[in-house]
Amino acid sequence: MSARRYQDRARPPNLRSEDYVSGQVYRDDGVFRDELDTVLGKVWHFACHVSEVPEPGDYRTFLHALQPLFVIRGEDEKLRCFFNTCPQCGARLLGDGAGTAARLRCVRHPGQFDWSGRVVASAQSEDNAESDVLSAAPRLREIHAETKNGLVFVNLDDAAQPLDAFLGQGLEIFDGVFGDDGVEYEVFHFHRATVKANWKAWQETIVDLYHEFMHVVLRTTQMTAAPMSARDMRVYPNGHLAIGGLKADYDNYKGYSARDGSAAFPGLTVDDARFTPLFPDTTIITRGTVMRIDTVTPLDPHRTIVESRGLGIKGEPEADRLMRMRHHNDYWGPFGRNVPEDAFAAEACEKSFGKGAGRYQIIARDEGGRGQDDLMLRAYYKAWSEMTGRLAHSPGNT
Amino acid sequence: MALDAEDFTAFIDLCSTEFDYRITVYSPEIRKEMIWLDQDYEGMRALLEMVPQHLKRLGTLKRHVSVYIIDHDATAAIATVTSSFIVTHTDPDGVSQLFVAGTYYDEVDCRGDRYLLKRRRAHLETRDLGIGSHIPI
Repeated sequence: MSARRYQDRARPPNLRSEDYVSGQVYRDDGVFRDELDTVLGKVWHFACHVSEVPEPGDYRTFLHALQPLFVIRGEDEKLRCFFNTCPQCGARLLGDGAGTAARLRCVRHPGQFDWSGRVVASAQSEDNAESDVLSAAPRLREIHAETKNGLVFVNLDDAAQPLDAFLGQGLEIFDGVFGDDGVEYEVFHFHRATVKANWKAWQETIVDLYHEFMHVVLRTTQMTAAPMSARDMRVYPNGHLAIGGLKADYDNYKGYSARDGSAAFPGLTVDDARFTPLFPDTTIITRGTVMRIDTVTPLDPHRTIVESRGLGIKGEPEADRLMRMRHHNDYWGPFGRNVPEDAFAAEACEKSFGKGAGRYQIIARDEGGRGQDDLMLRAYYKAWSEMTGRLAHSPGNT
Repeated sequence: MALDAEDFTAFIDLCSTEFDYRITVYSPEIRKEMIWLDQDYEGMRALLEMVPQHLKRLGTLKRHVSVYIIDHDATAAIATVTSSFIVTHTDPDGVSQLFVAGTYYDEVDCRGDRYLLKRRRAHLETRDLGIGSHIPI
């Protein structure tokens, strides 16, 4: 290769700066450290669904911004979130993903805490809540936790704005689905997968509509089921996004059956599809009869935990639940038709961007907010740039 | 071996038309038994027929099976078989890794000239399946 051709490859695209993203945002260690502090450390992060912690003492552990955390339901029914670490010696408290704890016990010494984080026994004074030692002992370190429509969000930032202010109208596309008509949802599917890709590459599998060409199922069931002009992309403050106007003809894919007669969620028909990516790491998707919530948790610039939940209606007949499981798995299960392709694509991008062969991603499609416009990708990286203080097309420059 | 070779026609030929296939796994995170794939004979045939059209992970899967228990009911002409399995994935560079471990609970129809797989429950121990698989295990 001549020197000129190498230089051409390295040269930024001749596009508006908002129309491309540098490969550095997927691989640079400094960018990643900044993301932990300025993005993930500031936003409300989806932790779990209320159905995962139904009773006092029920807890759910998770990782967010590399921090071990857990949500627990208190005696007063309130959901609280704590660092999963003993404030006295630093050892981990809860070792499994979920459970019910009478008390939270330090694995290293006799420190014990109640569901509100208050110390009830310490290394110096076993089970004597009135002692001076205990009153001086540190509580579990608590962070903000709030619930919206059964979704539990947490925030590491002491100065966080309220959850409602952060979400704004970001969930409006699910008005009527998360209604006030007494319908309660519950999680029936959970899959945690470690994907060898940058965390934003997974989020892009949702936000990048042009990628639907990659999926046989979407080519056959979705792309022709409704006019491209009917697609309705929305961009909200704080980087949240949504798209409605999608439909699906499921019987166009061999092996899928038509879903006429299946029990759709409130506010939806069986052929509806809509989703909202909540900035920066969560997506809620519905396909008429079933709902999926995805969360991405970066481990480093090149590895990401993807947690996928499938939701049905609490107390529904067994036949409806089996139908939802099947519809969920058709698309989104680990043996489904779509999700393995998304993961394959995210890892393929990592193979390119991870070592620098991929220089830029072009996000310049402009279809007036319809069709397969890159509008949502541009909005995502605009919000990312505002929070990190780095330019997505040139993250070395602030 | 038919699935390892991705000879899906040969695999389906080993199945009864009453074939009923399910992959299950217990999630301690949500404290529930989950179903990750649920297909009947026609569903399985269609699923496998569509695999070549999909963008799937490169490389091959290999199933290693150890049969633990065979219980043959001669009257009903049904054999129930419990087997342990692991599935490895070998990438195009020849690097093999464990993909999934679990147990098969099978029912084999012994009524005809040849035995046919009537029912398979594949219960997984492994819960992190990485990018997953278009091909059942």
